[in-house]
Amino acid sequence: MSRLVVSNLSIDRAELPVVTSVDLVAKSGAISVVLGANGAGKTTLLEGLSGIIPVAAGSIAIDGRELQKARPGARSREGLAHVEQGRTVFRQLTTEENLHVSLHPGADIAEAYALFPELVQRRTVKASLLSGGEQQMLVIARALLTRPKVLLIDEMSAGLAPVIVTRLMTAVRKLANDGLAVVLVEQFAALALSIGNRAYVMRRGRVVYDGDCAKLRQSQDELHRLYLGGAETSVPA
Amino acid sequence: MNALLTSAVAGLTAGGTYALLGVCAVFTYRLVAVVNFTGAAIGTAGTFVLIALFEAGFPIWPSVLAGIAAGTATGVAIGYIMTRWFGEASASTKAAVTVALLVGLIAVGLRLTGGQHPHNMPDLFPGSAFRLAGVEVTIASVLTIGLAVLFTILSNLFLNRTKVGLNLRALADRPMAAELLGVRVQLLSLLVWGMTGAFTTFALMIIAPQRSPNFMTLSLLVVPALAAALIGVFRSFWWTLAGGIALGIVEGLASSIDSVSQYRSAIPFLVVLAVLLWSQREARWDEAR
Ligand SMILES: Nc1ncnc2c1ncn2[C@@H]1O[C@H](COP(=O)(O)OP(=O)(O)O)[C@@H](O)[C@H]1O
Ligand SMILES: [Mg+2]
Repeated sequence: MSRLVVSNLSIDRAELPVVTSVDLVAKSGAISVVLGANGAGKTTLLEGLSGIIPVAAGSIAIDGRELQKARPGARSREGLAHVEQGRTVFRQLTTEENLHVSLHPGADIAEAYALFPELVQRRTVKASLLSGGEQQMLVIARALLTRPKVLLIDEMSAGLAPVIVTRLMTAVRKLANDGLAVVLVEQFAALALSIGNRAYVMRRGRVVYDGDCAKLRQSQDELHRLYLGGAETSVPA
Repeated sequence: MNALLTSAVAGLTAGGTYALLGVCAVFTYRLVAVVNFTGAAIGTAGTFVLIALFEAGFPIWPSVLAGIAAGTATGVAIGYIMTRWFGEASASTKAAVTVALLVGLIAVGLRLTGGQHPHNMPDLFPGSAFRLAGVEVTIASVLTIGLAVLFTILSNLFLNRTKVGLNLRALADRPMAAELLGVRVQLLSLLVWGMTGAFTTFALMIIAPQRSPNFMTLSLLVVPALAAALIGVFRSFWWTLAGGIALGIVEGLASSIDSVSQYRSAIPFLVVLAVLLWSQREARWDEAR
């Protein structure tokens, strides 16, 4: 059982606060969904968690081990995997070579193909030639082969056909069921809320909702209000 | 005719050195994304360790090994500066930093080695290897060209057949994605700097007896090396190799023609200019389409 605990995290970009005092938890077996409009600070939050950008304040811990000062590589070796926005495959490498880059000594390429059998016949194809959906599968599979405890996924559904998004969501749900703690960032809420457990909504760098996915899914009005700014947070941040 | 051939062949040692330095520059650029102006200076530092030990009376081959070790260490040190403090910088910033480092290395090198004071550089490989149409081809030229070919073949094998090579290609493609997967980015980068440092040092040791062994002259061999790399558009090892050898031959030919021989050191510059103008032309053509 693993647990990612983020407390009071703040992150600046170009000297301006972009993420402010965020608390967030992700547990083995569960999906924490992070929603929010474009520019809310979701990507910045994940980049701070994985170490791409430094954090200004607060702490990040996996099973009590604090990571906020470690380099990205060290955080990866502590069990944090980050699937970045924009399908960052190694373009010049084949599908299989992409998987070999991250291969943990205790992991097996077969696990990746078991999760996404679609990739088997694309094994020797350069990653730049894969379809968007295949590239997304590849980066998720690649992260999986580092044997992470916590998986951060940024906007995996962007620009993909609904049938593929459903396919990816099912796979991510399965990973959580197998014991991973997942943080799933999405701009489009419905599907993410249907597979998630706990939901966070961000606006202007702050968490404005922290609660059940199911509850939020039932109230479209509430979700709209949270995205666009309602009464309690109408004061400009 | 024979005179022309003689001067062309005389340019081969230089050509081989330009080729090897150029291939190392391409290797560095492709893997750690730095246009490295310190390449030749790193090799020069190692070469002067050899000269110092040799002048102090140490036996030659242990001194060569010590020199290569020193060149490797210098490469790793420069690489450490580049990865530690300029890892996230833009390509042009990184290139500018290596120019600054080159100036620093030359200043320190001239100070330590006594400026223009002539040194006694041992000729590691004297004599000729074989005769080509009646012209002597020196062992030094065969060796530098052979080393350049060897480096090209080995680096291709290394990149395509080993796990470390695979990680290096991943690193070259997307450094951050590689680091996020736990690839030891810093260590791998330093490996690249160390490997190129070792090879350039050996190449410079071979060519040094033919040039005035002065820290600045040798360090500035980076100019024809980058010209060769440019011929390979900083991508193709084999074009860089051919370009370097061709540069050496053209230089050799030029030195035999009285009216142009005083300008022969401008040849790499003219080549750089021509290649850049050519690539600009293509870019404009692309835009026009
Ligand atoms: N590299 C950057 N430099 C400065 N500001 C940035 C940078 N990247 C993003 N921002 C700003 O940070 C805010 C949050 O961006 P981001 O984290 O990408 O949001 P989201 O992923 O929720 O769409 C935006 O206002 C954006 O303009
Ligand atoms: Mg984003």
